[in-house]
Amino acid sequence: MKARIIARDDVIRITDLLRARGYEVLALFRDRGADEFFDVVTDANRSAIRWHALNSLNPPKRFLLPHLEPLMKIHRRNGGVQIEPAYDERKRAIFGIRSCDVAGIAHLDRFFLGGEYPDIYYEKRRRSLFVVNFVCTDPELDIGENCFCLCADTGPAARAHFDLQLMDLGDEYMAGAGSAAGEELFGDAIFRRGTPAHVERRRAILAEARRHFRASTSWFSAAVRYISEGKTREETWEAIGNRCMECGGCTYVCPTCTCFTMSDRPVGPHEVERARIWDSCALSGFTRMAGGFNPRRAVHDRRNRRFFRKLDHYFVQRELSVACVGCGRCATVCHGDIGMPSVVELIRRASSGSPARADLARDGMSSEQHEPVAH
Amino acid sequence: MAQKLTTCTFCGTGCGLYLETSEGRLVGAYPSLSHPANRGRLGVRGWHVHEVASSPDRLRTPLLRQNGRLVEASWDEALGFVAEKLQDIRSRYGPDALGFINSPRVSNEEAYLLQKFARAVIGTNNVDHGTGVYCHNSINVLLETLGVPASTNSLADLAHSEVILVDGVALSPRLPVVAGTVLRAKLAGAKLIVVGTRKHRLVESADHFLQILPGTEELLYGALAKVIVDRGLMNSAFIRRHCRDYEAFLAEVRLYDVAEASASCGVPPELIEQAAQMFARAQGAAVLYPTGMDSHTRDHVRALVNLVLLTGNVGRRGAGVYALTEHNNLQGVCDVGVLPDRLPGYRPVAEPAARAEVEAVWQAPVPTAPGLNARHMLIDSGEARLKALWLARCDPVSTAFAGDPVKLFPSFDLVVMQHVFLTGSAQYAHVVLPTTAFGEEQVTFTSMERRIQLAQRAVDPPPGPMPAWEQLTRLARRLGADWPYASAAEVMDEIATVVPFYSGVSYANLDSNFGRQWPCTKERPLGTPMLFANGNHGLRFVPVPKPTIISALPEYPLLLIFGQSLYYWNQSVLVQHSETLRREHRILLLDYPEGFVEINPEDARPLNIRDGNKVRLVASDGAAARTTARVTDEICRGTVCVPYFVREVERQILGSVGEGSALVWIRVEKEAA
Repeated sequence: MKARIIARDDVIRITDLLRARGYEVLALFRDRGADEFFDVVTDANRSAIRWHALNSLNPPKRFLLPHLEPLMKIHRRNGGVQIEPAYDERKRAIFGIRSCDVAGIAHLDRFFLGGEYPDIYYEKRRRSLFVVNFVCTDPELDIGENCFCLCADTGPAARAHFDLQLMDLGDEYMAGAGSAAGEELFGDAIFRRGTPAHVERRRAILAEARRHFRASTSWFSAAVRYISEGKTREETWEAIGNRCMECGGCTYVCPTCTCFTMSDRPVGPHEVERARIWDSCALSGFTRMAGGFNPRRAVHDRRNRRFFRKLDHYFVQRELSVACVGCGRCATVCHGDIGMPSVVELIRRASSGSPARADLARDGMSSEQHEPVAH
Repeated sequence: MAQKLTTCTFCGTGCGLYLETSEGRLVGAYPSLSHPANRGRLGVRGWHVHEVASSPDRLRTPLLRQNGRLVEASWDEALGFVAEKLQDIRSRYGPDALGFINSPRVSNEEAYLLQKFARAVIGTNNVDHGTGVYCHNSINVLLETLGVPASTNSLADLAHSEVILVDGVALSPRLPVVAGTVLRAKLAGAKLIVVGTRKHRLVESADHFLQILPGTEELLYGALAKVIVDRGLMNSAFIRRHCRDYEAFLAEVRLYDVAEASASCGVPPELIEQAAQMFARAQGAAVLYPTGMDSHTRDHVRALVNLVLLTGNVGRRGAGVYALTEHNNLQGVCDVGVLPDRLPGYRPVAEPAARAEVEAVWQAPVPTAPGLNARHMLIDSGEARLKALWLARCDPVSTAFAGDPVKLFPSFDLVVMQHVFLTGSAQYAHVVLPTTAFGEEQVTFTSMERRIQLAQRAVDPPPGPMPAWEQLTRLARRLGADWPYASAAEVMDEIATVVPFYSGVSYANLDSNFGRQWPCTKERPLGTPMLFANGNHGLRFVPVPKPTIISALPEYPLLLIFGQSLYYWNQSVLVQHSETLRREHRILLLDYPEGFVEINPEDARPLNIRDGNKVRLVASDGAAARTTARVTDEICRGTVCVPYFVREVERQILGSVGEGSALVWIRVEKEAA
């Protein structure tokens, strides 16, 4: 990876360079309270961009896969049918995307572009996207209560899938190029060559940052084993299901969730609009068959599906990672505290016969005594 | 792309959410992490709220009925027609021939102007919101016991409760954010008591589930009070200092008997004992009950509040009464006076002093006699006195709220409908006035925790629709009233002068935080998160006479319950215009296309009734109804439940659609296939 050094005050100028190249630049801003979101950078708000900040609750996934995306208009005209696709090819740059969300984009790429038939809507958005990754180093501002990218092996510094990576070294920032488009920016005078001391400083800061993850232990490997071997008890899933409010929030904020539904809606006397809308395995209509049969009728049968998909060995083998990037958003949006970290922990404890029985009862998992499962 | 903080408009929780817009369309919604009511969480409806406004089925132009058909008209034609008809009917039949009903979803500004229009411009108190008698029961009981008709504590305060008692509401599907708040309190160590006839999701997390037969709630709460008094667990210091009429209450409580209550309610006596002790021994115990569709009689609410006063759970962290509102602005429409017997600020319309205060601001006389309530207007059109009906986002035809609109509506000389969509009631409307939708106008709503907050304009409305407050303003001017409002903010400025506990409210004040909880006054501009925190004034016990429970007749062993509101959302017009929500809520209707009644498997088995079988319900007076059985152990053994949206059964058994509180003993027969 080619790297350069930038003075602290010059980092903001990267947004100018991108805007001058025709990109709509999206960066983190703060709104009411501690709410953070990605919004369009303009001359007026440029100075309000947040650098070190808690990641936005709504992931930047939506710039590639919008919540509600009109795909095409279908007209009936003069006895024939005309299809007018609504491609979004606007050049966008996400400035300050966190490493977990960069890994999320890699998951989306594999899903929408990895097979024989790439999704053209996604492809056009993705080809127009410039990714500026921001490394989380500030233990107070960047690293949230629910962050566990260390465990998911996606952060705090992304290793791939970005065009440019920025990391705070104190008075200066280090910029790493992840693509030719990123390297092209290095032609600007704000980028200077670095020294071995800069590389050493980067290593030291990252090592220090890793020590500050509060929710770092999420025993993925144990959960993958129990789930893949079918050793998770029905009662455990039921207890998890009883805490689900079926809001769908965990899937909507998940950087790796890709499920969608399609809808054709009449928008004129001879015109139909086809839209793609986020969908969720938490919802009962998601799995209900046209004939009325629902293989996942009970809530817990739907909830466990989410974790099978993310943690089962079959998928891990296919994708070379768990389908979780450790952003912790599902833990934040969950009404009943059954986000990924809690569920992994509940499965591990309930399945392993570890000395945590008292904790289980306290957590409302089950008042029954579980027999230890041999492995 | 732009992001705009606003307030969700589905249920009364009042969650903060962001609307994302792109090129003038709403493309997404997501929760605010910092909003004190939801803290980063939303229900499934909140996550899809943007789909409603972007629905292509929106009404775009006013419609006027000509030769039996609704045809497009200009605003000038539509408002001109309405003004002329209103004047004509008023001069011919008097002002009380006109009635006004709104949905508890309309904004504070729109609700305030509607009742002002009815009272000050037309001259009638026939104004009500279409939620009905249960909300009124809650308001009236809270006024007589606490003096304040709203939840005492904030939702976030539930995190400090030691005991939470949830009464008669399936919280998880209906108010998921409230359910989650309760569930997380439970996971953190609080005790949870659930009372009700139905076994719902939250019951799985309960420490005690008191599954009672319907109609026995007063008896159960009386028995709980009896246990607390007998064991000396009441908060005597609190009662002495703050509460009146304790002796009268005590005299009634002494008549209750745990064993007798146990037999009638179907709850084991030891469970009553344990629940009473758990509740009374808590440092902070909170009571949650619904105010919308469920049958909560006045005595039921009184018995609940008495329990709270008996244990001193007022003005304390983690304690309090939560009057849950299913509709996003049920609290607000009542606050600003959409009640036939109360002016803005809940002042009785019959009180001359109250009227004088309002008249001073309005510069118009206020009619003295209380008006017709919504049920009265819809069931018999006020004994046929009504000639015109105004429906503000209210759709009695498809939501089966009360009466038989299909029979009643053709008798009206004028039906005006304001709505975002062409609803079922439109087929009887003479005029349809399209309104702007969520996300297209800046207005305020008041949530179940008394939080007055702004809903913001995130996109421009499509050409055609007009904000409802503006429609009313233009119409009032046509009728000669001097209404100066140029914006919804100016309407709120007037509300602040009329409603004493809104006196510190302005859009600027509301926009600086996550709204303000009333009382928000000049002295307390930041609002009041907890009522009675600085002392309790005029709390009052209201004795509840021990009810007589009518027992089953041997040949009619099952109790038929109407108005089960679990499926309330299935009828919501908003739900029907969101792709995802419509799919989710249609499932039941696809599974049971002709509607259904619910029956417990234990009751179904001896009758050889299986899920989906056709059944006949027979009442002791011979009335009968034919329907489909949905066999589920969620409902209490010995009961048969009719969901809220299936009104045909009620019509056939009772002869009319009533208040939903009637309990009828029936027998169930399986029909031959």
